[in-house]
Amino acid sequence: MLRPFALYQPTTVAEASDLLAREGANAALYAGGTEVLLILKEGLLRVGSLIDVKRVPGLAAIRADNGHLSIGATATHRTVENDATVRARCPLVAGVARHVANIRVRSVGTVGGNLAFADPHSDLATVFLAFDAVVHLASRRGARTLPLADFVRGQYETAREEDEILTAVRLTAWPAHTAGAYAKFGVHERPTLGVAVALTRHGDAVGAVRVAVGCVGPRPQRISAAEERLCGVSLADVARHAGEVAELAAREVDPTTDLHGSAEYKRDMTRVFVRRTLLVAVARAAGRDTHERHPHTVIV
Amino acid sequence: MRVERELDVAVPPERLWDTLWDVPRMVTCLPGCTEAREVEPHRRYEARMTQKVGPISLSVPMQVTISNVVAPTSLSLEAKGRDGVLGAAVSMSVNLAVTPRAAGSRVRIEAEGKILGKLGALGHGVIQRKAEELIDEFGVRLRRTVEG
Amino acid sequence: MNVIPIQSSSKIRFRVNGGAVELDVRPEALLLDVLRDRLQLKGARRSCDMQVCGACTVLVDGAPVSACTYLAIEADGREVLTVEGLADGDRLDPLQEAFIEHGAVQCGFCTSGMLLTAKTLLAEEPSPSPERVAEYLRGNLCRCTGYRKILDAILACAKSGATRA
Repeated sequence: MLRPFALYQPTTVAEASDLLAREGANAALYAGGTEVLLILKEGLLRVGSLIDVKRVPGLAAIRADNGHLSIGATATHRTVENDATVRARCPLVAGVARHVANIRVRSVGTVGGNLAFADPHSDLATVFLAFDAVVHLASRRGARTLPLADFVRGQYETAREEDEILTAVRLTAWPAHTAGAYAKFGVHERPTLGVAVALTRHGDAVGAVRVAVGCVGPRPQRISAAEERLCGVSLADVARHAGEVAELAAREVDPTTDLHGSAEYKRDMTRVFVRRTLLVAVARAAGRDTHERHPHTVIV
Repeated sequence: MRVERELDVAVPPERLWDTLWDVPRMVTCLPGCTEAREVEPHRRYEARMTQKVGPISLSVPMQVTISNVVAPTSLSLEAKGRDGVLGAAVSMSVNLAVTPRAAGSRVRIEAEGKILGKLGALGHGVIQRKAEELIDEFGVRLRRTVEG
Repeated sequence: MNVIPIQSSSKIRFRVNGGAVELDVRPEALLLDVLRDRLQLKGARRSCDMQVCGACTVLVDGAPVSACTYLAIEADGREVLTVEGLADGDRLDPLQEAFIEHGAVQCGFCTSGMLLTAKTLLAEEPSPSPERVAEYLRGNLCRCTGYRKILDAILACAKSGATRA
C-alpha cells in the first residue's frame, strides 16, 4: 500500500518545472515508476505528489540526426531495445537495453528515469559513456546540456537542479569501421560490473578506442589511461597488450564493497572483464566473433 | 560503517585542540550538521543531522555526548538520534586524537556508525561510501576552520 | 493539465480479459490491489513486492508489467490480460495445456507470471531457442520446479505451433 499522493500530469516542460519549483522535496518526478514507487513503498520517501512527465509531448521521441542519436527521456528500455533507429545507429545500445533488469522493468522503466535516478549499477549509463553521451535538461529557466560523465556525480546523485527535468540523452554514433562489445557480469538483479569497449580501425591499427567501466563504483567512467595505451597499436598486437590495458582499468576504478562483491573482487573482475571485452571487440573488428561464454556474463 | 582518516593541518596542536574543544564549532564542520546547541558545557550538546541520498532524505535530531577527554590530545564523541519519518535510528561514535607533526599537527579521526531501520535498505555499500564522504568533507572543513 | 488531488479518486476505464471495466481509483492505488481486491482476479500474486520475482505479472497492452509496482491509473484506456483471461471458457490456452502436460506446475504461485510472460514471448518469437526462453523468463522466479519443466512446456508449445493470439 502506498501513502496517498496527488498526481499532476503536466503537458509542457514549463508546467512540470513550475510544479517542481513549487513543490520542492514534497514532489517526485514519475515516469515508469520503477524506482520511485519502490522507495515510496519502502517508506524511504514521502511525497505529497507525483509529477507524471509522460504526457509532455516529444519526451519519448527517438531521433537520428547528423551522426547523433537522441533518445527521449520517457522512452522505455523495451522501446529502445526494439527501435529500428537505435538498432541502425547504435546497435550496442539496443542490445544492452535488452538485458537490463527483467522484462517487466524494461516494459515500463524509462531511459531518463534510469539516468536521473543514478543508481550506481546502471548498464545504460555505462554504455552511453562509450557513445560520448550528452544529457539534455530543461526547466522554465531554459535548456542546457552536459556530458553524462558530469551529469552523474555520485551514487544516486546528479547535476539535475530541483526544477529541471531530463528531456533526452544524445549519443554520438560510432564512425565507420568501429567494432564494440559490452560485457555485463553478475548474479544479482543488478550487475556487479559492466564494461563497454569500442575500437575504431584506421587501416590495420587502432584509430580510436573507448573503454567504459560501470556498476562497480558510484559512477561509471571512461578509462582514459587504457584508451591512450591502445591508440595507434596495430590490431594484431592488441591481444598482447590486453593484460596491461586491463590492469590500467583495474587501477582507475573506485569500487564499492557491497552485496555485489567486495572492492577487491570488483577490481579483480574489472581486470578480467576489460581484458575479455577488449578481445571480443578486437575479434569483431577483424570480422570474427568469438561467441565466447562466461558464467553469469552477458556479452552484447 | 567504519571510517578512519588522518588529517594534517598547518597549525600547532594547541590551536587544533582549541577548535575541537569548541564543540559546537567542531560539530558543524560535519556536513549536514546544523543547529548545534550546548546543553552542558563540554559534555552534552544537541544538533540536527540532515543527509540526502538521491531523493531520500534523513533528518535526525542528535544527542551528542563528549567523553574520554584527555586534554589537549584526545576526546570521544557519541551521537544518537532517530528520524521519525524514516523510522531510522542513527548512532555514531567518533574518536579524535591530536598529535604534533613537523609542519603543525595531525588529527586522527576514527568514526563508527550504525543505521538501524528501513534506511538500511540502501545497503552497506551506499552507506559506507556516504560516511566516508562525510568524514572527508569534515576534514576539509576542519582544516579550513583551523587554518583560516 | 490533468490533476488528481490527494485523497481523491478519478475514474478509469479499461478492459480486463476482454471485458470493459470502469472504476474509481486513487492515484496511489496499485494495479495488483485493484485486480485482486476489487475485481477478484486472484491469479496475480504479491510475492516480493519489489518487481523482482514476477509472481504479479500481468500484461498491459501486451507488455508484461509488475502489477505490484504499477499504478492502477496507468491502466486507463488500456487492455489488461491476467491469467484468468487465458482460457476461453473450458478451453485452455495451449500454453496452459503444455504446462499441465509437462508437469510444469507444482505450488502454482509463479505459474500465472510464467504463462503470461511466455505468451508474450511466443507472440513475438514463435520459435525461440531454449537459451532465448531462459533469457526472456529470467525475471520470473520459481522455487519449486527448478525451471526445467517450465522451459520444456514453453518449447513444446512453440514447437507445436499452437499459440492462440
